[in-house]
Amino acid sequence: MTAQRPLTILIAALGGEGGGVLADWIVQAAQAEDFPVQATSVPGVAQRTGATTYYIEIFPEKRATLGEQQPIFALLPTPGDVDVMLASELLEAGRAAFNGFVTPDRTLLIASTHRVFAVAEKTAMGDGRYDPARLLDTVQARAAEHVLIDMQALAQTTGAPLNAVLLGALAGTAKLPIAREAFVNAIRAEGKSVDANLAGFEAGIQALSTPPSIAGIARPVAASDFDDTARPIIELGVARLLDYQNPAYAQLYLDRLQRVRDVERTAGGDGSLLREAARQLALRMAFEDVIRVAQFKIEPGRFERVRHEVRADPDAPLVVIDYFKPGIEELCSLLPGALARPILRLSEKRGWLGKVYVGMHVRSNSVFGFLRLRLLSSLRWLRPRSHRYAQEQALIETWLSAVERATAVDRALAREIVDLARLIKGYGDTHARGVRSFTRIMQAIVVPALAGTMPASVAIDALANARVAALADPEGNRLDESLASIAAAAPVQAKAAE
Amino acid sequence: MRDAADSVRPKKTPENSAAEREEIISTERSFKKEVQSLRLGAGEIFRGEGILAVTKALLQSGVSYVGGYQGAPVSHLVDVLVDSQDMLDELGIHLETCANEASAAALLAASINYPLRGCVTWKSIVGTNVASDALSNLASAGVTGGALIVVGEDYGEGASVIQERSHAFAVKSSVWLLDPRPNLPSIVRMTEKAFELSEASNTPVMLELRIRACHVQGEFVATDNVAPKFSRRHMLDGPVPQNYDRISHPPSTFKQEKQKFEVRLPAARKFIVEQALNEFFDGEQNNVGIILQGGLYNAVLRAMNRCGLADAFGRSRVPLMVLNVTHPLVPEQITQFCAGKDAVLLIEEGQPDFLEQSISTILRKADIPTRLVGKDVLPMAGEYTAEVITEGLLKFIEAYAPSFDVAGAGRHLARIREGRTGAQQTLGELPQRPPNFCTGCPERPVFTAIKLVQRETGPTHIATDIGCHSFATFPPFSLGNSILGYGMSLASAPAVGAMMEKRPIAVMGDGGFWHNGLVSGVSSALFNRGDGVLVILQNGYTSATGAQFLPNSKGNRKDGDSTSDIETTLRAMGVKWLRKIDTYALPKMMKTLREAMTTSEKGLKVVIGDGECQLARQRRIRPQIAAQLKRGERVVRTRFGVDDKTCTGDHACIRLSACPSLTLQPNPDPLKSDPVAHVNNDCVGCGLCGEVAHAAVLCPSFYRAEIVLNPRWYDRALATLRNGVIAMLQPKSRTPLPVVAE
Repeated sequence: MTAQRPLTILIAALGGEGGGVLADWIVQAAQAEDFPVQATSVPGVAQRTGATTYYIEIFPEKRATLGEQQPIFALLPTPGDVDVMLASELLEAGRAAFNGFVTPDRTLLIASTHRVFAVAEKTAMGDGRYDPARLLDTVQARAAEHVLIDMQALAQTTGAPLNAVLLGALAGTAKLPIAREAFVNAIRAEGKSVDANLAGFEAGIQALSTPPSIAGIARPVAASDFDDTARPIIELGVARLLDYQNPAYAQLYLDRLQRVRDVERTAGGDGSLLREAARQLALRMAFEDVIRVAQFKIEPGRFERVRHEVRADPDAPLVVIDYFKPGIEELCSLLPGALARPILRLSEKRGWLGKVYVGMHVRSNSVFGFLRLRLLSSLRWLRPRSHRYAQEQALIETWLSAVERATAVDRALAREIVDLARLIKGYGDTHARGVRSFTRIMQAIVVPALAGTMPASVAIDALANARVAALADPEGNRLDESLASIAAAAPVQAKAAE
Repeated sequence: MRDAADSVRPKKTPENSAAEREEIISTERSFKKEVQSLRLGAGEIFRGEGILAVTKALLQSGVSYVGGYQGAPVSHLVDVLVDSQDMLDELGIHLETCANEASAAALLAASINYPLRGCVTWKSIVGTNVASDALSNLASAGVTGGALIVVGEDYGEGASVIQERSHAFAVKSSVWLLDPRPNLPSIVRMTEKAFELSEASNTPVMLELRIRACHVQGEFVATDNVAPKFSRRHMLDGPVPQNYDRISHPPSTFKQEKQKFEVRLPAARKFIVEQALNEFFDGEQNNVGIILQGGLYNAVLRAMNRCGLADAFGRSRVPLMVLNVTHPLVPEQITQFCAGKDAVLLIEEGQPDFLEQSISTILRKADIPTRLVGKDVLPMAGEYTAEVITEGLLKFIEAYAPSFDVAGAGRHLARIREGRTGAQQTLGELPQRPPNFCTGCPERPVFTAIKLVQRETGPTHIATDIGCHSFATFPPFSLGNSILGYGMSLASAPAVGAMMEKRPIAVMGDGGFWHNGLVSGVSSALFNRGDGVLVILQNGYTSATGAQFLPNSKGNRKDGDSTSDIETTLRAMGVKWLRKIDTYALPKMMKTLREAMTTSEKGLKVVIGDGECQLARQRRIRPQIAAQLKRGERVVRTRFGVDDKTCTGDHACIRLSACPSLTLQPNPDPLKSDPVAHVNNDCVGCGLCGEVAHAAVLCPSFYRAEIVLNPRWYDRALATLRNGVIAMLQPKSRTPLPVVAE
């Protein structure tokens, strides 16, 4: 009695991850066991970091027993026809399910749960990462059986390549009629980095003896994950501002929060507004300026952190060079308003803003580099007298009083205004862009909503849309569109609400 | 010998001998191991890729000369020939690594007058387009020695070019087209038969291999290599006397056209029938049949297997006619197969439906009433996967052979598709992963520069080209308005430039420059006093096809010296405005581009972006560094990093680079939710991150770390001094006081 069909194995990997070597190992092992086998791939330009696949078919009957019969192998995987799906990364496992290569009637999915982010995920102005929980839930639901482990972590701890760990996991499942020894021999026969590959192979097998678990996978923290009480966030906020400035500044933070707490209580809120306001206010008050950056660059533990990150030996001499390019605005931000304002006015007139910068490469852990940064970071006492400080506090007050007033109208509206603070972050262009977006949205939506010329329900939607639009593209095109559509709809809505 | 520098893991350990290191000078993948299997003799088992099996078949056919131009999926054919130079020399075979496909096609001219077997290879359809002038002339003149063209049919999944069929060229030039079943024994047999067919019909022959057939791993029983009768070792006596009939020039051309149909075509058909190049498989159900292209055989059999119409070993219940030769068709074979059947399903991939039209005509002229079913149940365009074929096959069987019960197969297909739709709905749109510049690629900074300059000057029209740099058309750069072919960017810009104020930028790689851009672009632009900007990315190799040598490469496959220099060439041609800039010098590149865009000087402005392909560079320097370290020499390792505390999570840095090693990690700050940028350990220290942060005035999060390996006493002394000062002056770590409102 001969088998009716070949066993099919599809490997999804990223260019440069060794998917081809993995396919070769499997082919070699199958050949050594006297099974007819065929592998194909579509390398092409996908080897340049793109997603790619390798496809293997093994006829599970020894050639000796097949005689003259030659199985006909397919060159392409067919949806519904994949026995083993190997994925080197979680998104690629998801893509395999998306393309129909993971099916509940037959597919064993073996995938690493770590993420290698795609360009589209990385370039988002906020958090563009695809939800890993959604990927995990889908691939688990689609697979007949699954092995989902963070194989990259395993690879790193064993110093082995990821593809060897995948091979170990495949061998561990015993899904293919190939003895472990045959895989080991294939690794040895290939002859490159044999010890590291064997260590990874063993780690892959070992990982299977502990039941597959997805417990260790980090899911992004959402605001809704916080406890009922605002206390833990407020504690973090206070600590942040003590580090940033001084106890008086932390006290200002608490005073401001009290205002939010009181209006929320009066409006019968559940404390969620306070929690989010506590988070955003701490971040807004600890605005980033050159003093703050200098402080970060020389803080205790930083150089050790760098040493660890760049994998330098503990005693290897290490130089850390930081890139600074303060412009006129950054320099003026340290000066008192009376001095800064005329300089900024002149610079604007002459068109120097955004054009004149002082480029510096500072060797931060050299004696003089360190001293410069140490001196700069000690200028915190200057901060409350600076032009930037006055600007930031005014922005914070505008925002906070809008929150207060909105709470009395509609708590959901207040919550949207709290979230607007997210737009302002960073330095230089990023900061300027954020302030611009924030101010425009305040003018276009919050002011009319508080004045009663725009219904709260309309304003809530408009704010949510505008905030997303502001983060959609750096040029602000989407925000333009969003605000234009609000302006166009406004008279109609006002009328309808009457 | 086991030193193949694998494309995916180019790691070289210090243990490698100096001799081995010397060998890693060219091409992304070395085929030294595979070359050994090209020496296998009669009865031995050859194991390897389809395209390498073709190479072995060439040697078994007594080929006198070989050549080609690289391009997926046939790059390996050229690479393996280069790596097997020693063996070619032993057999006296001449190897020509051609400047483009036109010169490869012209190489076959040796077979017009002389009894020499020759083979060239290229990527189709684009390569055939470039070759077509020489190809027409070759086909008109006809050949004496067997002339074979192996084309990689870059169609369907994984294809990187426009989707057209090589079939059109075969038909219009009267070149025979072979499309063998995609298994090694069939591919090898058809390669060998191709030379015989070519000689029997005095016609060049094309062997078409689809992408996966080129890369399919399999085995076949080898025969001995055959030394060619005439070769570099056994030369021809001299030129033959002129025979005007062999020149593609009037009046011969009129005679040649007639010959194609009166002499060569019948001879080819006779050979095809006698040698049984097309294959017929019986089946119990004789009222229907299937005609298919040989290359689709395995996919069709899988589809039939799923429908219960064939077993796993190819025993079919429906008669099959497998066209291993798709041009010319043999009308008698077609009519014989179709006669007496109610309907025949034709499985022909791609459009136009050349075979369907031809077979319809054959049946109509023979008055055979058999119904021909083809593109009416199968899609006109796109790859024929087993899934696509199954769907068409089910429709065909339901209509013309209802005695087969395929309802179960239909339900299975529907169930699979339903499940897939479900998964797609749950997942929504998944992030795509198009190819991207490699970590540390020297071409990336040029596009960063163009993007930054455009911020000041406004958008410009960008005519782009073929090569790694075309990845800039993908996000985050999204730069490029048109692609017109390899080396054609500059030629595609003048009319656009004439219609707008701002000069268009044409981007071209050094591969494209030597392939076609030098003449089609530069020469034409100079001749017309064009005012455009040409950016040439000089990375020293044709990197997208696996880092083959170019005339300007530092190395050469023959004597290790580069043969030509782009700058000298351009100056000699008359280019006045020319700047050569290190691509990593971002501010300088920006300044130069700004100047090129705005200078009042008329004429072609050329910016050469100079930076060695990082893949090739890493392959070159890693063993060197390892050896230096082993010798105890002082080495400074450079790496970049991001301070996660200062990073704001805006990712502007990534939008200007998208380096694979510049990625995300969760924000360590519990108050913040946006992920921060992170440089992983793949970083090669190219420095673009820092340059970008600087040039675009992004943020102070990037740092460069210089790690001194094998430090000297002064390194240690300086480090001690620095650490001492820092320890003394560093602010004490604050323990924050938890204070709570109330």
